[in-house]
Amino acid sequence: MTSMTSPLDRRRHLTGLAFITPTMLVIIAILVYPILQSIVLSFGQSSIDGTAPYQFVGLKHYAALADNERFWNALWVTLIFTGLSIPLELAMGIGLAVLMNEHFRFKGIARLAVLFPWALPTALNTLMWRWMYNTDYGLFNAAALQSGLVDRPINWLGDETLAMGSMVVVAVWKTSSFMALIILAGLQSIPRDLYEAGRMDGMTRWQEFREITLPLLKGPILVALIVRSMDALRTFELPFNLTDGGPVTATESLSLYAYKVIFDFIEFNYGAAIVVVQFLVIFAMSLLYILTLRNKD
Amino acid sequence: MTKRPRFGLYALVILSVVISFLPIIWLILTSLKTTEGIYAWPPQYLPDPFTLKNYIHIFTNSPELLLYVLNSFIVALGCTVVALSFGGMAGYALSRLGMRRAGVLMVFILAVSMFPPVSLLPSLFQNFLHLGLLNTYTGLIIAHTGLFLPFTVWMLASYFATLPPEIEEAARMDGMGFFRIFWSIVIPLSWPGFVATGLIVFIFSWNEFPLALVLMTQNAMRTAPVGISLYPGEYAFPWETISTATVIAIIPVLIITAIFQKQIVGGLTAGAGK
Repeated sequence: MTSMTSPLDRRRHLTGLAFITPTMLVIIAILVYPILQSIVLSFGQSSIDGTAPYQFVGLKHYAALADNERFWNALWVTLIFTGLSIPLELAMGIGLAVLMNEHFRFKGIARLAVLFPWALPTALNTLMWRWMYNTDYGLFNAAALQSGLVDRPINWLGDETLAMGSMVVVAVWKTSSFMALIILAGLQSIPRDLYEAGRMDGMTRWQEFREITLPLLKGPILVALIVRSMDALRTFELPFNLTDGGPVTATESLSLYAYKVIFDFIEFNYGAAIVVVQFLVIFAMSLLYILTLRNKD
Repeated sequence: MTKRPRFGLYALVILSVVISFLPIIWLILTSLKTTEGIYAWPPQYLPDPFTLKNYIHIFTNSPELLLYVLNSFIVALGCTVVALSFGGMAGYALSRLGMRRAGVLMVFILAVSMFPPVSLLPSLFQNFLHLGLLNTYTGLIIAHTGLFLPFTVWMLASYFATLPPEIEEAARMDGMGFFRIFWSIVIPLSWPGFVATGLIVFIFSWNEFPLALVLMTQNAMRTAPVGISLYPGEYAFPWETISTATVIAIIPVLIITAIFQKQIVGGLTAGAGK
């Protein structure tokens, strides 16, 4: 503990407080208070415009959720989507990172190509893919029909399994680049002489990768995995723009369902209960993230 | 380095580049086709005839699509300026002013940054409605600032930590106050950090969807991703207009990314590695 006697220390302390106050006020107003308010709303009955007074109803909304098949479906869809897309993104990300770590010409263009899918708005990326998936006029069916691979157009977004697969493809396309960038930064911090030593021992390329590269990439990979999992668990505009959750509810994520409950069905408090459940799932993930980082140091 | 076969390497690089660009290229090609060309069978891979009609049409008949881009620009720029100002001060306080429990505060800021935006929606919508902040630039700028301030604080705090402390100590010997030191010494020394952070925050805000969807309910106030997504009528999707509007909306981000790719990549990997 330092004592606060010297005037300089006091000035420093006051400046610190003054400097951090605007940030704390915005974070509390936009992130902390709304979450607490959502929790309060989920235990009550009120109206979105505040005309009806708040009435406490206890666990009523949560009990209703437990019996709501569409809620369980949304939770399941979100978990399946996350479980399918993350391993694929990781594999693609590692592959891209290893590729980008090689020396070749026109690397600038290649790096830009890897960065673009990440940099563009997911909502608009999704529209581009929806256009390529289009049953009657899309690129995929045009190419498949013309080359004779199929004799009838494939309904990419109209079949339950295909729609989920199509959504996973868009997510993997968009976010493998993010994985790749983080893993690439890790790759570049691996000392070169480790590989030279490996080569002396007559290691093959694959052995090098498995025995030197992968173990040293554990940290960055873990970070990338957790950040991306949290992202995937809250996916919203991807199903919103690709399928609107369809066919029926085959691609309806938890975020999308919560949005519909609040703003389409105007069941404000019920929707709050859904977002609180989602918050808890993601918050558990973020605690895991922070604990992992702590252990890494 | 020993020579290894290069053919496979180049084939893989070209494949990745093609896959990355394919949706964007197909979209640009679509925007340059006539309506008949878009819906033709056999399909047109290249525009035939090539036309700028869709672009002219947007500038003359659908000014609201340009308005969306303008809205996005105002919100992203506002959010970037506010986030850099507030986040710069907070980052400086946390990394350099010897605050007690600075580490705990940093973890707190990291933890709240992981809140899912959709879980903020019911209360943010209600509060903004009461405060008259729905459908205002101020409202969405504040909301985006809240979402992206944690990232800004982390990025800038770690940048300040790399500056040699001797310069600030010397300035203090000369009797400069903390605010003057921050303003006239630390900020000029840290501009690469501010540029990288600012570019990423700008892209984050430009791309943000759920809050922009819910807090801007009037058509004239929508940002580009939301406005274009909601543009089509109930049943038919006018792809010639959508593709053209999307090309216009992604051009600013494409240019920023192309020019500043080094800074963006550096910032992203530093931020995520923390």
